[in-house]
Amino acid sequence: MAEEAAYIPYVHCQTLNSHGHALSSVKFSSDGRLLASASGDQTIRTYAINLKGDPIAEPAQVFTGHDSGISDVAFSTDARFIASASDDKTLKLWDVETGSLIKTLHGHTNYVFCVNFNPQSNMIASGSFDETVRIWDVTTGKCLKVLPAHSDPVTAVDFNRDGSLIVSSSYDGLCRIWDSGTGHCVKTLMDDENPPVSFVRFSPNGKFILVGTLDNTLRLWNISSAKYIKTYTGHANSQYSVSSAFSVTNGKRIVSGSEDNCVYMWELNSRKLLQKLEGHTEPVMSVACHPTENLIASGSLDKSIRIWAQEN
Amino acid sequence: MNAPIIDPLQGDFPEVIEEYLEHGVIKCVAFNHRGSLLAAGCADGSCVIWDFETRGIAKVLRDNDCAAAITSVSWSKYGHRLLVSAADKSLTLWDVSTGDKIARTTLQQTPLHARLNPGLSSPSLCLACPLSSAPMIVDFEIGCTTLLPVCVPEMPDVLAPPQRSKCAESGPPFSPAAACFNKCGDLVYVGNAKGEILIVDYKSVRVLALVPVSGGSAVKNIVFSRDGKYLLTNSHDRIIRIYENLLPAKDVLRSLEDLGKNVDGVDGVEKMKTVGSKCLTLFREFQDLVTKMHWKAPCFSGDGEWVVGGSACKGEHKIYIWDRAGHLVKILEGPKEALIDLAWHPVHPVIVSVSLTGLVYIWAKDYTENWSAFAPDFKELEENEEYVEREDEFDLMPETGKVKVSSVNEDEEVDIETVEKDAFSDSDMSVEELRYLPAEPIPDTNEEQDELKLIEARISASPASEEAVQNGHVTDLVSSPQGEMGETRGKRKRKPSEKAMELQAEKAKASKASGRTVREKSRAVGDQEIDESVNGGGDDDDDAYY
Repeated sequence: MAEEAAYIPYVHCQTLNSHGHALSSVKFSSDGRLLASASGDQTIRTYAINLKGDPIAEPAQVFTGHDSGISDVAFSTDARFIASASDDKTLKLWDVETGSLIKTLHGHTNYVFCVNFNPQSNMIASGSFDETVRIWDVTTGKCLKVLPAHSDPVTAVDFNRDGSLIVSSSYDGLCRIWDSGTGHCVKTLMDDENPPVSFVRFSPNGKFILVGTLDNTLRLWNISSAKYIKTYTGHANSQYSVSSAFSVTNGKRIVSGSEDNCVYMWELNSRKLLQKLEGHTEPVMSVACHPTENLIASGSLDKSIRIWAQEN
Repeated sequence: MNAPIIDPLQGDFPEVIEEYLEHGVIKCVAFNHRGSLLAAGCADGSCVIWDFETRGIAKVLRDNDCAAAITSVSWSKYGHRLLVSAADKSLTLWDVSTGDKIARTTLQQTPLHARLNPGLSSPSLCLACPLSSAPMIVDFEIGCTTLLPVCVPEMPDVLAPPQRSKCAESGPPFSPAAACFNKCGDLVYVGNAKGEILIVDYKSVRVLALVPVSGGSAVKNIVFSRDGKYLLTNSHDRIIRIYENLLPAKDVLRSLEDLGKNVDGVDGVEKMKTVGSKCLTLFREFQDLVTKMHWKAPCFSGDGEWVVGGSACKGEHKIYIWDRAGHLVKILEGPKEALIDLAWHPVHPVIVSVSLTGLVYIWAKDYTENWSAFAPDFKELEENEEYVEREDEFDLMPETGKVKVSSVNEDEEVDIETVEKDAFSDSDMSVEELRYLPAEPIPDTNEEQDELKLIEARISASPASEEAVQNGHVTDLVSSPQGEMGETRGKRKRKPSEKAMELQAEKAKASKASGRTVREKSRAVGDQEIDESVNGGGDDDDDAYY
């Protein structure tokens, strides 16, 4: 058992006010060099992360082209491309370096809400208000599969670490796990009560999923036993699709946004609330943890992104 | 890691054709180590690599010097290199990730089969089996070829097994032989025209052991299973034989030498046979007693549990699947085109077969929907069960304060990071495997944007659907490897009638004028797919859910 080192709090180090409308999603690239943000102002922006620098995040590119607000953005594994999901019913694939639009993926019949690349980055999974999950081929832009996933808007999709499974969550209260190769449903995770699920993602080893529901609770489910094994409360989440993340760079933690304008951090195993990061003036919609450094980015309805780092 | 949740009964053998891949006229196929990439050689001398997950083309290796049909493709162990042999007597070694040619040699005869050494991570050594001479080892680095012995030099008639008259056709002048590496690549197993398996140490060019195949007819194919425990021979007498490999996995050469030393009293061929009997034992024989057909491209399944062989009769595309115990479990029948090559996916129950017309058919399991995956409290029954009510089932109970007691111990330690070792990784993973070629998205062009608008207009114009969604599955994916929308669409779409064309023209004008509103209004816009599976009109529920 690892000893609990004294907790070093995170402090606010930077605010980015580049967007003109509420932030919906923030993501770090897997090499940690870039941060991407998606907003209701119909643009996606990327920022270069310089850990030694001050400020840490420098604006890099702006991606314009969507006709409507954007709900989600995702990096490919090599950080060469980003995919964005928008209310204009399309997904767009952009070149990170040049900021140019490469492809538009048509097919969804309602707002596209969430998007993710698979680890091999040859496929994209997207979830939409049209209650389906679509799997797209990155090279041709063709829709490979349409999964009849849910009976309410799909709020999150995520691939596991070898890309063989997809988890999807929806306001209908269910989380479903799909085989990404065949498109068949492998498992459905639900409990006696089914509050709308606002967010889901796989744990780094793919054995657990972190599920956020609109009853102000976050749960960690064990996929094989189909039971939840941890509960995290204290934050507010009853209206928006607030995202959460695993922080593994310094002790195992769960980080989540909240509708009371703070970022919450719990210790994974003990479920103790470690810190509430205050600073935003409106609900925090999305949080992202840097893959290697102790850095957290949060995006909020107050149109700003805040970067938090551990003081040292 | 997903093994615990995926139904174990589904890892069997394929049953139906799922789809087919097309790229020119394909001659031969090979899966990489994981089955994530499929390499195929074409009749025009180019080699195409498909990303097997998306069924899209990942790379095309084209050599301007070579325009002759490819006779075989072979991957290196970790998938970095690809060896291609062609009908113009050449062998080319390609670097897969860069698409560059590493080396190329020309042999005396056309190699029918060429295999890279499976033991080395960056092999430059390969085994080539030409049609009309002995198999040879080709070393690209040194640039030399070494012929391997095809028979044991000894008194021919005294010790060789009696020849059946049927085999007179495979006469001595050509002595074709089949050969393959063993799993770690330090021995070569040669099957010769006299019906013997020779175990050869190719470095010293010595025959170390000899195993006579019963019946003594020429060996046409010789293949190891993936784990190296079983060896398969396909002989001219139409029998497929399975041998169990008794040699240990590591240090094979030394074990063979030791075996050789321990045999006393006999010399020459007899000694080799005695050693041989300690290396391989006959396990099973497979043949079709009814039709007595010749077999083509037999091989093992990825886990070695199944043996598959294609029928070599012209005009039929039949694949026989046996389990290792010898029972014929399935005959897969495809369209009436002769089968020229076969490969079993290393991991999934998927078979890929190449027909004479150059199409690659993908066979997979026929999936029956697992309804209990959609709702955990569903119980699937095989047959009707009589339901017996409990005595108090419909009684009205007073609310007894339902308190849900969580039976979960939330204090237990949870590990979210460690991953189990991959079941499919053999030996050491010191070299990184090339599993995928990075996807390069093809940029949308302006024409494609305009065509999209035309499709939308068309959809609103002709409510009668162009293509039923049911067909869409196979036709969908036919167009995927092409990537050229315009051309495939031309093949598939029905020509709209004149009235529809007028309506379309009107709508096109209207849609350009009113822009988004037209799109949103017409329900059928539901599927704005670039390809065919469009259902015009009808319910939204019918939208392309396959």
